[in-house]
Amino acid sequence: MHMERTDVHQGTLDLMILKTLQSMGALHGYGIARRIEQVSSDALSVNQGTLYPALLRLEQRRWIRSNWGTSGTGRRAKFYSLTRLGEKKVAEEEENWSRIVSTMERFLSPVEED
Amino acid sequence: MDWLREIFSRCTALFHRRRLDEELHEELESHIESAVEENLARGMTPAQARMAALRLFGGVTQVKESYRTRRDIPLFTSLSRDVLYAIRRLRSSPGFALVVITTLALGIGANTAVFTLVEGFLLRSLPVADPASLYRIGDRNTCCYHGNFESADGDFDLFSYDLYRRFRQAAPEFEQLAAVQAGGGGYTAQYGSAAPRPLRTEFVSGNYFNTLGVGAFVGRPFGDGDDHPGAPPVLVLSYAAWENEFGRDPSIVGATVYVQRHPFTVAGVAPPSFFGDRIASIPADIWMPLSSEIELEGANAAVTQPMTAWLYALGRLRPGVQKGALEAKLSAQLRDWMREWPRFTEHGGTELIPHQHVKLSRAGGGIQKLQQQSGANLRLLMLLASVVLLLACANIASLLLARATTQRINVAVRIALGAARFRIMRQILVESLLLSGAGGLAALGVSWFGARTILALAYPEAHNMPLHAELSWPVLGFALFISVLTGVIFSVTPAWAASHAQPSESLRGVNVASRDRASVPQRTLVILQLAMSLVLISSTFLLTRSLMNLEHKDFGFEAANRYTFEMDLEGAGYTVDRTAGLYRQIEDRLGALPGVKHVSFARYIPLGGNQWGTCVHVLGESDPGREDKCFSDWIRVSAQFLDSIGVPVVRGRGFTAQDGPSAPLVAVVNQAFVKKFFPFGDPIGKHFGREGAKYASQYQIVGVFSDFILTDPRSEARPLFLVPNTQRFTGYTDAEDDAAESSSMFLGSVILEVASNGTDLETPVRKAMVEIDPKLPIFRFVSYDSVMASNFNQERLIARLTLAFGVLSLILASVGLYGVTSYFVARRTSEIGIRMAVGASRSLIVRLVILGAMAQLAVGLALGIPASLLMDRLMARFLFHVSSYDLAMLGAAAMVLAIGAVIAAILPAVRAASLDPVRALRTD
Repeated sequence: MHMERTDVHQGTLDLMILKTLQSMGALHGYGIARRIEQVSSDALSVNQGTLYPALLRLEQRRWIRSNWGTSGTGRRAKFYSLTRLGEKKVAEEEENWSRIVSTMERFLSPVEED
Repeated sequence: MDWLREIFSRCTALFHRRRLDEELHEELESHIESAVEENLARGMTPAQARMAALRLFGGVTQVKESYRTRRDIPLFTSLSRDVLYAIRRLRSSPGFALVVITTLALGIGANTAVFTLVEGFLLRSLPVADPASLYRIGDRNTCCYHGNFESADGDFDLFSYDLYRRFRQAAPEFEQLAAVQAGGGGYTAQYGSAAPRPLRTEFVSGNYFNTLGVGAFVGRPFGDGDDHPGAPPVLVLSYAAWENEFGRDPSIVGATVYVQRHPFTVAGVAPPSFFGDRIASIPADIWMPLSSEIELEGANAAVTQPMTAWLYALGRLRPGVQKGALEAKLSAQLRDWMREWPRFTEHGGTELIPHQHVKLSRAGGGIQKLQQQSGANLRLLMLLASVVLLLACANIASLLLARATTQRINVAVRIALGAARFRIMRQILVESLLLSGAGGLAALGVSWFGARTILALAYPEAHNMPLHAELSWPVLGFALFISVLTGVIFSVTPAWAASHAQPSESLRGVNVASRDRASVPQRTLVILQLAMSLVLISSTFLLTRSLMNLEHKDFGFEAANRYTFEMDLEGAGYTVDRTAGLYRQIEDRLGALPGVKHVSFARYIPLGGNQWGTCVHVLGESDPGREDKCFSDWIRVSAQFLDSIGVPVVRGRGFTAQDGPSAPLVAVVNQAFVKKFFPFGDPIGKHFGREGAKYASQYQIVGVFSDFILTDPRSEARPLFLVPNTQRFTGYTDAEDDAAESSSMFLGSVILEVASNGTDLETPVRKAMVEIDPKLPIFRFVSYDSVMASNFNQERLIARLTLAFGVLSLILASVGLYGVTSYFVARRTSEIGIRMAVGASRSLIVRLVILGAMAQLAVGLALGIPASLLMDRLMARFLFHVSSYDLAMLGAAAMVLAIGAVIAAILPAVRAASLDPVRALRTD
């Protein structure tokens, strides 16, 4: 697989996209990028362009679907939305993350044995 | 499952590349415009807005690239791009592509054609069960009826029925032992209301089909129960005969077929792939049990004569049998058997008996008769074809090297622009493989066509020959492999070298050098090609000359203006008494036809492929002893025979009307006969006889005729005597001798001499024959020239093929030389420009180029001449009256090669001389 030049792991980017679409409904690429920036309070330095390969991958797996439509400003854009399969995957990925996070937490803040 | 969806999406995306590219572009543009809008709203200037948007976005091209690599299947798209590019490049140099493809097609095709035949001929197994366990007692092809010691070294491989039965009883090591007629038989067969026609027949023992493990397609094969005297006669048809001669009649099983007017019941039809126990150009149509020969031949039947050897023995060995021990055992049996018969023990034969032996040989590939006759020829062809392949590969290598050098700049530029080395090599590899692939496809056509042509040339009389020109895929694969390998090595290696060179070096000036090392491999190749070409061309001359020698040898009789045909008297039911009247009728009727000078009859015609030999006993001389000391050929002929073939009588007289049925028996002999049996004194008036010393007064010699060749065109005339058809010897005490005498009265071959060629003789002759007897089948009406020619089919084939190979090699070598010379000129363009600018004349330039080419020719000749001499030594067995050290031939071949080389070099030389010096100097 081609290595991405991004600070963000490919799996996390995927999850961010999915969650965004879950909460925002259908959104075009620029919209997704802006939303991610907002939610992470600009803490992530993601090249916006790296979104598109990720979107392609998700679309190939049929987790999201795309349609051409008009944006709020009257511009023609491609809109993405979650599929039913995608909904399922979001829940799975969320669970995965929670597990990873809680495990890491246990490592990073050791229980004091007293 | 996700990966499956991904792959599916990727595959479908392959078909919509352009549309998806446009969409992506639009999408990204839209993204950036949205960002710009937002920035503008924040108060940036348009320029700043755009820059900020782009910076946040990242590299658009990189994003597109990374998008594309995961959108479809990148390997596929880049390979297809390589292929399309390669096709474009090849289209832009069509000459190069065409030459390479043609060269490959011819080189690979020639090889595959020859090797296909070799494989089918020499290597294939019989279509029988477990061919590996089939063995034959005997390893040579002695044929077809013998009655004495068979070879000078004591090797025995033709057996009588009595001896075969003895082997069968004495050797349980053979699970089954069958006997087959050694020679090809032919009888007239008639079925239903169809006209009788001649078919090829073979007598075999009852257990033949069982031994080979072959069943029947319909009906049943015959078995041991059908093979005893008195059993109702049955036969088995070959599948090809059933299809072609009997119209695939579904009711053939159990039907009656009349063989020589004797009724036989058809037991069954053999399976479609079964053609017998040997590869022959005309395989057997009918198999009959040995005992049925008695029905057909009566007292003459070989199966009833314990001394007549006419069978080969083959069978299935049990596993684990020691061949050496079995050979010793069978040889001992042979010797015991021989001691029981006076023919082997008298006249000092007893001393010879201990040397007599048999050898076992594998029979899984069939009785090797045709193979042994033709095998050597095929091997020679294989050698020649391999040389052609080598030449072809050398040509391709040379062409590719030349092309690679002109591509160096191309490669350098691409490297300078950042192309990956691997991609460049891959593209060149693709181009090379495309060429090889196209060449291989073309080769398929050449080999298919070539194999058929060779077969048709080698066996023009073949009928149902079980040898198909099916392509030998392993050979095709091998030849293709060689050429692909050559292509790959010679295109990738220089490309690899070029890609590792500093681009700036290559770009600076490729054509500056006046003497470059890079052309050495090419010149070496051309030199080798010239040498190999000389070998082939000189072989061509030798073989063609040999063929001419053979065909124009003086055979001692005249064949021009003569025709011959055969009639099957016995098959039409004639008895000896009726034949006399028939001959007279035919002589009168045919002699009356316009233009016919002589009509004669003979049992066998000279160089017709057959003969009858016997042991001669001269009256008053002591017994000759072994067979070769008393051997002579003999033919029964009509009175006009010698006249009809233009052979003069040199002493005494020929047959006349006075040699009637009640007159004393006479014979005329040839000069070789006189030399052998009457070396001192006049043979006229002397007596001799055949079939035994007691018949030594049988014939009186009344004349001597000039020698002519009867059977082997390559040898000298053998002793021969002729007896007239009007006289029959009735003094034989032995029934089988008498039967032989009877059967010799049937003269089935007719010779016609005409005043001049050209008129259609066949129609009036056939018409006349039908008027004489409509039931008498006439066949093989041919000119005598074609009878002669058919003796040399194989030699003609070899000569023609070698000629084809020779021409091919000349073309290949010339093209190679042309290629190298033009390439040379191209590379030294600027040097030539300089020379011309400082005053060199055009003719000097021409001389320069040609001298360069001639230098290569000289070295090529230096290598080629010893190679040719070596080749000619190897070919000595194929040459007839042509010395292998024939320097005139070699000189002629060198001359031909030189002419080709000069022509090849002149074109680029002229082109060099007509260069515009200004343009030449400016060339980089």
